[in-house]
Amino acid sequence: MIGLPANRLFCLLLLSLFIPAVVCGTPVTRTLSTAEPGAGEVFTVSLSVDGIALGGVVETLPTGYAFAGTDHPDDRVLVRGQQIGFAVMNETGITYSVTAPASGSGDITGTWEDFLGETDGEVAASHVAVDGIETAAENSGEKPAAQEAASPFAALAAVAAILIAGWGGRR
Amino acid sequence: MKRRLLPVLALLLLLAVPASATELIPGDADGDGVLTSGEYASAVLAYLDTAYMGGAGDLDRDEIRDAAWVYARWDGKPREVVDSSGQTVTLYRPLRRVVTFSGESLETLRSLGFDMENVVAVDKYSHEKSTFFPECREKANVGSIWSPDMEKVLSVRPDAVFLYATISTAACDDIQQRLEASSPGIRVLRFDCFKPATYATEIRTIASIVDETERGEEFATFYSSTMDQIRDGTTGIPDNEKTRVYFEYWFDHTTVAASAGYNEKTELAGGMNPFAIGTAEYPVVDPEAILVTDPQVIIKLAGQGLAVGGYAGHDPEALDAIRSALVERPGWSRISAVKDGRVHVIHSDILGGAQHFIGTAYLAKWFYPDRFADLDPHAIHQRYLTEFQGIDFDLASEGTFVYP
Repeated sequence: MIGLPANRLFCLLLLSLFIPAVVCGTPVTRTLSTAEPGAGEVFTVSLSVDGIALGGVVETLPTGYAFAGTDHPDDRVLVRGQQIGFAVMNETGITYSVTAPASGSGDITGTWEDFLGETDGEVAASHVAVDGIETAAENSGEKPAAQEAASPFAALAAVAAILIAGWGGRR
Repeated sequence: MKRRLLPVLALLLLLAVPASATELIPGDADGDGVLTSGEYASAVLAYLDTAYMGGAGDLDRDEIRDAAWVYARWDGKPREVVDSSGQTVTLYRPLRRVVTFSGESLETLRSLGFDMENVVAVDKYSHEKSTFFPECREKANVGSIWSPDMEKVLSVRPDAVFLYATISTAACDDIQQRLEASSPGIRVLRFDCFKPATYATEIRTIASIVDETERGEEFATFYSSTMDQIRDGTTGIPDNEKTRVYFEYWFDHTTVAASAGYNEKTELAGGMNPFAIGTAEYPVVDPEAILVTDPQVIIKLAGQGLAVGGYAGHDPEALDAIRSALVERPGWSRISAVKDGRVHVIHSDILGGAQHFIGTAYLAKWFYPDRFADLDPHAIHQRYLTEFQGIDFDLASEGTFVYP
């Protein structure tokens, strides 16, 4: 068994405390059938909704990527440009399809609201790149106001914890 | 000149219109009074479009939250309630900006777990009770029912105002008329919340209004279990065997007659009040008459007129001094209650308002110590404060409510 210096162990402990706070706690999470679709390929985006009885989710697709359909009831979906709005009414999951462009990469971003719980937040971004090739093109969707106002604390805390761990290891 | 007045008038109009002036459930597109699943979904999409997608709808966050509340909790329909004045009140949205002119209603709302952030203004007496209502210290003060600050009421843009139902009716009617004339959207809800005969029903009705029916049932059961224990324990006692009680109000030689609430509680606890007959609520009696009736128990009320004890402070010496002054009155050493050491001081905080069940339990225990050996008013009081009022108040070291 390889021994770890006490200060590094302490920093790892700190990391273990911070990382769950960053990753967990959001009631909406997104998974992609693939993050590296082929040109023109239709891939699936699955949103897992936990604990929101009545709420809403707005997803924003990167430039060039197009909404291609959903299993969500028609009267609970609204598409405007690169954005798709879903009315959540006791669903625990929403699946929708996206057609990839000939080339391009970017983030699928999202925001959610729980109307009964009176809370709101962001869905963690999911990166996609056609054939895994990164391009300079950025996400075209305008960030919603709620997204822009989101607290950077979680990300900062994770970065700080990683830096502390690195510093602790060197000593 | 006219141009200068226009903005002022517009501002006054805005102030006068409450947050929920519209008589519809938000999102009820066809206005038929029912928010259907389809209408709700459309409303959500319209809101998301406006808030996040660059659309231009007119539904804001508060409205969609209210729509969700009504859809989820009221089955998409308005809630109709009959208050204690007999009027039917229709609610189209949850209460978010409440004004209370009655401390008893305020206390009952807190018992029911109502979010006190949604109470935007309170009456001046509740405002002053900073120990019992610490969260009200910073809220707007709208005065009393006898001297209401109507400008202040309208300025906080309430969606509901709580008034008394069956006491001070002229003053409360006047406030209600003025509110309804200036802002028809304001819901005026009238409850007493201090009467044994109606309190359990009022708890359930208010719980229905604020959608805390489960909590309301729990609280009503807690309240009723104490009152039922008292009623059951005194049932069947012949009138001539009932404990003879002299109940003295705050002022010397002033007692309570049949129409007074304190008499109702005395009788509920099985007491027989020789001075109950009479039209005056609080008659002054001849000191000699008290000696003649030879009460078995004497109850002295402390509180507003004798401003010691209660939630305001831990001061058993002050209540002891009140008791000593009583027993030292000329001729009182001959009274059975004095000879038997059955003279008690009780604070109006636990006998006059929403907490009357606690005070009534003390009365029952004092009147019939054997019958109510298992009744523990102190424990009931502490449970009420901790479990239902949710305040950090330890009766072992804070407040003084009874002596001895």
